[in-house]
Amino acid sequence: MTNWQNLQPRSFLEASARDRAIGLVDEGSFTELAGPFDRVTSPHLELLGDAVAFDDGIVTGIGRIGKTPVFVISQEGKFIGGSVGEIGGAKMVNTIKTAIDFHDDLVAKYPDLTDEEKPVVVISFETGGVRLHEANAGLLAHAEVMDQLQKARGKVPVIAVIGSKVGGFGGMGFVAAATDAIIMSEFGRLGLTGPEVIEQEMGKEEFDASDRALVYRTTGGRHKYIMGDANFLVQDTVEAFRKQVAELAPLPVADFEAMRRIGSPEKVENQLRLVALAAEMQPKDAVDVWAKAGNENAAGLLDVPFAEFMSTVKRLSV
Amino acid sequence: MEMQESMMGRGRDAIDMIVDPESFQENTVGAQSFDDPEFGPGAVVGTATLDGKTTTIIASDGNAFNEKFPVVYAGIIGMEEGYKMAQAVYASIAADADKPLEEKRALVLIVDTPGNGPGKVEEIFGMNKSTAAYQLALAEARLKGHAIIAMVIGRAISGAFLCHGLQADSILSLDANYGTMIHVMPLTSVSRIIKKPLEVLEDLSTKSPVFAAGPRFFYSLGGVGALIDNVDGMRPALIERIAEVQKAKAEGKQDTLGPWGRGALGAERGGRVARPKIIELMNREFAAVAEQYAPAR
Repeated sequence: MTNWQNLQPRSFLEASARDRAIGLVDEGSFTELAGPFDRVTSPHLELLGDAVAFDDGIVTGIGRIGKTPVFVISQEGKFIGGSVGEIGGAKMVNTIKTAIDFHDDLVAKYPDLTDEEKPVVVISFETGGVRLHEANAGLLAHAEVMDQLQKARGKVPVIAVIGSKVGGFGGMGFVAAATDAIIMSEFGRLGLTGPEVIEQEMGKEEFDASDRALVYRTTGGRHKYIMGDANFLVQDTVEAFRKQVAELAPLPVADFEAMRRIGSPEKVENQLRLVALAAEMQPKDAVDVWAKAGNENAAGLLDVPFAEFMSTVKRLSV
Repeated sequence: MEMQESMMGRGRDAIDMIVDPESFQENTVGAQSFDDPEFGPGAVVGTATLDGKTTTIIASDGNAFNEKFPVVYAGIIGMEEGYKMAQAVYASIAADADKPLEEKRALVLIVDTPGNGPGKVEEIFGMNKSTAAYQLALAEARLKGHAIIAMVIGRAISGAFLCHGLQADSILSLDANYGTMIHVMPLTSVSRIIKKPLEVLEDLSTKSPVFAAGPRFFYSLGGVGALIDNVDGMRPALIERIAEVQKAKAEGKQDTLGPWGRGALGAERGGRVARPKIIELMNREFAAVAEQYAPAR
C-alpha cells in the first residue's frame, strides 16, 4: 500500500489512478469497491486476445474528508488510455448511483444530517472517452453516467478533478462539463475533440497536434480557467487537489449549483453569450480570447510562473 | 431484406411523415420562439401535434450550413445547435411545469447526425459544454415526467448520438434496410486504431455485439428498444411508445426507462451481461462497509 504522507507532495500528473484515489481523501480512509482483488476483467478484451486489467482501468471506492463521505472514481490513463468499456463504465455509473442512494438513506435516517455529513462524488478524469474495443457498450455507459449526474443534482455534488496525462476528452469531455465543479492543474486538459482528431479533420494548417503549446493554449488548465470552464486552478500536487476538494466538500449543494457552467436555462443563455462572442471574434488562437478578457500580456500568459499567473490573470466574462 | 430509399439527410421529411398533417410549427416551443434564422440552423426545433397531442420535435437539418461556424453541415451538431436544442427542451419543461404527469408533452427526437463540431474555435470555447447542456436538459425533462422518444432515421454516430438520442426514455430505429448507421466508429477505422485485422473484428462482430455497427447490434445491447422496417411504421410506433412510456411513468416505473432501463434491457437480450454482475458485486461490497461512512452519533 502506498504511503499516504509520501503521496501528498507528489506530482498529480504522474500519479496513478489508485494513488490519486487514496491521496485525494483523508489518510487511511479509502475503501476500494470492485477492486483488483475481485479480478473482474473485460470479457471483450479477452475475446480480442488483449491484455486485461483486474480493475478494468478504473479505481472506484469510498473515503472520507473530515465528516464528508467521498465517493471516488479515478481513471487510469496507462491502461488503454483510460478508455471506458462495459465494466469500467458500469463501475463509474454505479459509484454515482451508490452515492445518491447513500445520500437518500442518510437523509432518511438522520433528520439532523448536516451539509458536511452528506456524500460527494469526486471524479479524477484521465480518458479519451469510449474504449473502441467495446465501443457500443462504452457509449451506452456514457449515457448512463450523464443520467446519474442529473439524478445527483440537488443531492450529491459531483466534483471533477483534471490534471492527468491523457486529460478528459471525447464523451468524457461531456461528462466532465456536466459536473458541478471542475478543479484543474495547468497540466490538465479538457475538451471534446482531441488534438489528433482535429488535425485529421481540419488539416495541419488549422491545427498542428504536435505543437504542444498550441494544444495547451486550446484545452489546457490555464485556458480553461480563463474561460470559466474550470472553476479552480491548483498546483500539480496530490495535496493541492485534495485541499481544494476538502474546501468544497462541506458546502451546501446550492453552492455547487452556483458553480455550474451549464444545467439551467439561465446558464445556457450565458453560454450563448460566449458563443456569440466566438462568432463575432472568430479567434485564430486562444490568445486572442485571453486578450479580449483584458489580459495585457496575453501572449506571455502561458509562460509566467503559476503564482504570478494566478495573481494577475483576468478571466473572461460576458 | 429489401433495401429501401435512405432517410439520411431527410430529417424534415421525417417530421412530416410522423406528425399530424400541417401541424408542425417550426421555431416555437412553449413561450420560446427562435426568430433568428441564422441561429443554429443545423437544429430544427418546434411544436407539432401527434395524434392530437402537443409534442416537441427536435431534429437535425442535413442540408443546413452554419455560416458562423463552418464545421456545422450535413447534420453536424455545433455549439449553437446544441444550446438551441437545450433551449427547446427547457421551454417544453417550463410550458408544462404546472401540469399533471399525464399532460406533460412528449418530446420526439429525430436522429440523423454524423457528429459534433470538431474545430479549433469549438475547442477554445468548449463544445463539450454545449452537447452536455443538451443532455442534462433532456435528462431533466425525462426525470420530470416528459416522455422522450428518439427515432433514428439515418446516422446516429458516437458523441452526436450520446447528445441527441441516448438520453431518451426509449429509442426506436429504422432497420438496416434503410441503411441506418448506429456506431461509434466504422470497423475499418477501429481496426486501424486498435491495430487488429478487420477480419478478426468482423468475425467477433458476429459473436459479440459490442464491436459492431448497425441497429441490430444496438438492439441486442438494449440501446435500441425496437426496430421499424417501414417508414410508414414510424408514426404509429411513436404514438404507441409514447403511450407506453407515459403509462410506465404514471406507475412509477422510471427505472425501466432511459439509460438505466436500457442497461437491464441489454442484459435481458444478452448483449451486455457483464454490467449487472459488476454492479451487484459493488453493491454487496459497499453494503459491508457503508456503516463506517455514516455519521457518528
